Amino acid sequence: MASDNEKTLAPTKSNESAPGGLRTAFSRKVLIDSVVRLSPKSLLKNPVMLIVEITFFIVAAMAIVPQAFAGVASPSLQIFYVEVAAILLLTVWFSTLSDALAEQQAKSTAGSLRKLETEVSSKKIVTEKWEKKIVIVKSTELRKEDLILIETGDFVPLDADVLEGIAMIDESLVTGESAPVRKAPGDSLIGGSRVVSDTLTAKVTTNPGETFIDQMIKMVESSKRPKTPNEVAITIVLIGLTAIFTIIIVALLGMSIILNLGADLSVLIALYVCLLPTTIGALLPAIGLSGMSRLYKHKIIAKSGKAIETAGDADVVLLDKTGTITVGNRQAIEFVPFASCTEEDVGEAAFLSSWHDDTPEGRSILKLAYEKGFVPKELNSLALSETYPFSASTRTSGVKITGMGLRLPKGGKSGRDRLRIRRKSSTISDQSMAAGIESEIDIVKGAPESIKTIVDSVPSNYDLIVEGISAKGETPIAISRNGEAIGIIRLKDVLKEGIREKIQALKTMGIRPVMITGDQPLTAKSIAAEVGIDEYVAQAKPEDKYSIAKKEQAESRIVAMIGDGTNDAPALSAADVGLAMNSGTEAAKEAANMVDLESNPAKIIDVVMLGKQLLMTRGAVTAFSIANDIAKYFAIMPVLFGAAIPQLQALNVLQLGLKSAVLSALIFNAIIIPLLIPLAMRGIAFKPTSTMTLFLKNTLIYGLGGVIVPFIGIKLIDLLLVGVFHI
Amino acid sequence: MTTENKEKYNFKPILGLAIVSLLICGLFFPLIVTGIAQVFFPYQANGEIVQFNGKPIGSNLIAQTFTMPIFFHPRNDSASGVDPDITLQDAYSQIPAISNATGIPVDSLTSIVNQNQEGTWWIFGSPYVNVLKINIGLIKQYSTVYSEFSIS
Amino acid sequence: MIDAIQAFAVIFILGVTIFVARLLAPYITRVYSRVPSRLDKLLNPVEKFIYKICGIDPNHSMGWKQYFLAGLLLNVAQMVIAFLILVFQGKLPLNPMGFPGLNWDLALNTVISFATNTNLQHYNGEATLSILSQMTAIQFLQWTSAATGICMGIAFVRGFIVDSKNMGNFHVDFVRTITRILLPLCLIASLVFVVMGVPQTLSASTTLTTLQGTTQTILTGPVASLDSIMQLGTNGGGFYGANAAYPFMNPSPYSNIFMISLMLLLPTALIFVFGELLGKKREARPLLWGAYIIFGIALALAFIPNIPLVAQGIETRFGGFMSNFYTVTTTAATTGSVNTALSAMHPLTITSGFLGMFIQSIPGGKGIGLMYMVMYIIITVFIVGLMSGRTPEYLGIKITGRDVKLVMVAFLIHPIIILIPTIIAYASGAAAAIGVGGTSVGYTQILYEFTTSAANNGSDFLGASGNTPFFNIATAIVMFIGRYASIAILLALAGSMIGRKSGGTTGLKTESPVFTIVLVASIIILVVLAFFPFLALGPISSFFRGLMNGF
Repeated sequence: MASDNEKTLAPTKSNESAPGGLRTAFSRKVLIDSVVRLSPKSLLKNPVMLIVEITFFIVAAMAIVPQAFAGVASPSLQIFYVEVAAILLLTVWFSTLSDALAEQQAKSTAGSLRKLETEVSSKKIVTEKWEKKIVIVKSTELRKEDLILIETGDFVPLDADVLEGIAMIDESLVTGESAPVRKAPGDSLIGGSRVVSDTLTAKVTTNPGETFIDQMIKMVESSKRPKTPNEVAITIVLIGLTAIFTIIIVALLGMSIILNLGADLSVLIALYVCLLPTTIGALLPAIGLSGMSRLYKHKIIAKSGKAIETAGDADVVLLDKTGTITVGNRQAIEFVPFASCTEEDVGEAAFLSSWHDDTPEGRSILKLAYEKGFVPKELNSLALSETYPFSASTRTSGVKITGMGLRLPKGGKSGRDRLRIRRKSSTISDQSMAAGIESEIDIVKGAPESIKTIVDSVPSNYDLIVEGISAKGETPIAISRNGEAIGIIRLKDVLKEGIREKIQALKTMGIRPVMITGDQPLTAKSIAAEVGIDEYVAQAKPEDKYSIAKKEQAESRIVAMIGDGTNDAPALSAADVGLAMNSGTEAAKEAANMVDLESNPAKIIDVVMLGKQLLMTRGAVTAFSIANDIAKYFAIMPVLFGAAIPQLQALNVLQLGLKSAVLSALIFNAIIIPLLIPLAMRGIAFKPTSTMTLFLKNTLIYGLGGVIVPFIGIKLIDLLLVGVFHI
Repeated sequence: MTTENKEKYNFKPILGLAIVSLLICGLFFPLIVTGIAQVFFPYQANGEIVQFNGKPIGSNLIAQTFTMPIFFHPRNDSASGVDPDITLQDAYSQIPAISNATGIPVDSLTSIVNQNQEGTWWIFGSPYVNVLKINIGLIKQYSTVYSEFSIS
Repeated sequence: MIDAIQAFAVIFILGVTIFVARLLAPYITRVYSRVPSRLDKLLNPVEKFIYKICGIDPNHSMGWKQYFLAGLLLNVAQMVIAFLILVFQGKLPLNPMGFPGLNWDLALNTVISFATNTNLQHYNGEATLSILSQMTAIQFLQWTSAATGICMGIAFVRGFIVDSKNMGNFHVDFVRTITRILLPLCLIASLVFVVMGVPQTLSASTTLTTLQGTTQTILTGPVASLDSIMQLGTNGGGFYGANAAYPFMNPSPYSNIFMISLMLLLPTALIFVFGELLGKKREARPLLWGAYIIFGIALALAFIPNIPLVAQGIETRFGGFMSNFYTVTTTAATTGSVNTALSAMHPLTITSGFLGMFIQSIPGGKGIGLMYMVMYIIITVFIVGLMSGRTPEYLGIKITGRDVKLVMVAFLIHPIIILIPTIIAYASGAAAAIGVGGTSVGYTQILYEFTTSAANNGSDFLGASGNTPFFNIATAIVMFIGRYASIAILLALAGSMIGRKSGGTTGLKTESPVFTIVLVASIIILVVLAFFPFLALGPISSFFRGLMNGF
């Protein structure tokens, strides 16, 4: 069944990295689209550009019939009018080109999202006459609550929860994570992922077309995408500025006519268009769209553009210790023997007792024992052993080995490890045969207090060692062999790579990270100190997140947090920015306003940074655009009334010629749009520093730069026009 | 202490308040100031009228016409049109003509001008002289000279 | 250019003024917070009596609409009273010179001019108004417009106070402004003016024989009581046509300095009151330094040319330097009293004057300047604030699209009501009718006329020559819109702040020097963007022509 689907789903790596480079985006389609968008009707939603286009028609008319514009146009300037009109049209085209590019980027994002959702056939389990039956249906026919069977090689048709079975799932198409993931009952499956081994029964949790991916596709594709609050406010500023400049130009035209100042309409129009906020007007839609695309590059799906902006405003970020700050599980870092034993004894006993322990802690004990070379001689008899799984009442687990043998376990380990184990165990077997070892070993590991109660005697330094470890915020696991306490395994929470730097970045930006953990205060304190967090909540239950979020919000702070469990849903929906893990429950994903496909909770920090970048990019282009106007006044004002008021030549600081002044300013005004497209699409670069430093730096670069750059740019264009084209 | 009131605005106080403010601001205040000023500072309050030989002959603050060559002359342009003062330079420049007309030595005229310098307190302002004051000063000091011109 | 001593004099005068304003601010704050004070014994019974006879419920509180409406309606009622007095002054007492009533259009222009705190004067007071009119029309409206402006400013601030629920009660604020702020301050200032030589009498004239034997009429009246409210209330309307150039209004260099200081006092004090009422004193910093840095720039601009000691149009006792200082100050504080003939001023001084009137908040009129400065802060916070990577916020309140809409409209009003009437004045022939041509000088006069009206400043070139139906009515409309539309929009802005969340400590620090500098740059850029071409046609063009041909 899979062959057809595999074709459609087969990932082509380059497409997957979705929002493709700018170069590849410059396709013929984009060019055609940008020209189609020149029609006045499609410019209606961009009033600034519509006005520019109207001025183009006026100047074009002046070029054709200058006589009709008696008093404000001169037939001798016909060629000049053609030039002005051409640049005006070019200005509009640059804007539509930017729109087309951003739309193209969005489409490719949507396209790669849609690939995740291609229709596949799936095996629906139906119960007819008390008998379970499998019916092959299209994924689009599945509905929420339907039961499905997924076998090796099948694609998961829609998001679903595992009911029965354990299987390895390849989520690389969805998340980009290459290693297969183990899924057991209770886990969530992502639509579009693929089963690589074993069989699962699962319950569909969404209707087709209602997944997060659908929401994202809708948002990216919709041309009526709701504007975010900041976009709305900027649009109002742009309209306000447009209104002011319209009044100015109309007044100048009126005065020119009444006071006989002899201004040429085309020059007045050039001044008008130069003053209009064309740069930000042209780039605003692209900035918002590419912000979303950038988020998707991080494999995060936002349900709205607003959510990204709000992330930039976060004052407090609630971080779950486990999974966000630490790798998620404690790891064994040392075997501490009591006086009667050696480190090796403890290591070997720990090895044996952890063989059947599939928890991350258990695996880390095995790993440590391997690394230290503590591989027990009883290894071959493990197959015959009897295990006591972890019991919450006794808080212990263990193993009882009754027989002997030399079989080595299969599976998972690397060739080198296997070789090491084999070599080691052969020596062991020699020794054991010579020494005639005990035939029965009973090893128990668990909480030190629990072990204390089951062993015959406790070494005098038992409590001292246990307390010493606990005091460091680490976890002691006591281990006993045949009723004798032989040592302690030291487990430690290990920080995620790079998390300390990320936390530091948050703090420098004035955002308060708050760590939330179910651990004892001592453990919490030690981890918090290690990672550099000043505020933490220990012994927190998942429900507590809600009250913490609410408390911060009551103090008017913007709260960002992550969550995955059903318990987290209320908090996620209360938080201003809620990032759910894709591996989490449906309720959590429903409540959040963003979902991380890779289920990496530490990404909440990236989300905040992306939000800031989006806001900054928008502000920078706006400020730059407005600051540009000063230079344009200085370029055009001297020549506007040049004939009637020659003394205004004193303002001609750039020493521009009559025609060249107008053309240079207009060309600069047009060309700055495509020059800034990459900036708009990439977002402005920034290093995490304090709000005020960011403000100052960006204000200097884009504000002050916005005042200075056009003076230089216009002069350069003027030199080019005069030197090369002899205008 | 305040009651949040979403009712329609009560227009009633407007007329009362308009009249009360008229009485306080338009009548009470200027009259009170007039009263205090007339009692305590009658000279200033009535326009700094200068008495000469028992007769009011002008105000220190308002320029009066001097056309005779025996007097210092005020400016004939100025913003208010009644600028009572002239600069020292202006005064000095008029001295030779007055000296010619009256026979009063230039040095004496210069010292009278210098004695009447005003506007020189600390760093604020630049010196000037009041035309009426120096002319009266001249008459007082050289009454015989000026009586020849039937000014006394 | 000015020398070091003159620069020091400027800094000294401004420094002392700011210092006194700082001392005054806590008292003003207590007046509006209705904190018990020592004056209660004297004033409580008076105020209670006023509340009683006017039917004012002092515990009633108002939203922004009610507050604004109360102010507007009271002002209109006061305009009607003053209008009737002006029109019928010929039949009313205290008219020793026997002046006839004013034409309706001049009377209308005059009452709107004084009620809007503009004090544009299309008449010469000493030759037009009776003593009664000077007191009960002119001084009356100077008081009430000042009180209204302060109240509006205070209500505006209340909108930004965390957890505020309303704008207060206009009637109570108005009464307390008069009884507790203006009465004591004006009484002191009036008596200082009297001591300095300003007349205060009900007699209109003294006729005498001069030393040369000619007859001279000395025109007097209740001038000192007008001087105080004219300056303290940033009104600017003079008793005499020559305004503060007339020796009886401004008798000495010291009264001139006192006047400069007085007109800056309340606008500056209210900036501190803003910080105190908010409970965030530091937030007054960008308003104060933003205002005074731009004021400093305007002064520097006016001081660039060589300033003559005394020249045509400049009074001897002030000299060129203090006249320039006064002219820039009177536009910066939108007072509008003048101590020179504006036509004698250098084009750069006039440009400075335009700057003050375009900005209206350096420091601007009392109360109103503060509102405009907050408007500029919000525009600035919005445009550059995004660059800090956060949604722009001011005083912890996030700036929304609606806020931006209101401030943009408030900013837009001015270009419209200045430029359109200027064009109409030429197009209709009204300018030519009073002999003002289309040269850069003539154009400057017309542009100034509408700018001064829109900014509620009142200094002007036209004076009594502006007494034509066109200019009387056109400027009346401009003054009315410039005053009430702007206040309404900015009060709506403040009103919308009530009940909004205010928190956020990580946002832009508006109290920091960095922000003040950006604010200054942003105000200058905005004003240059909106008005540069029109200045270029007028004073800037005159300036360059002067540079080429010599002045």
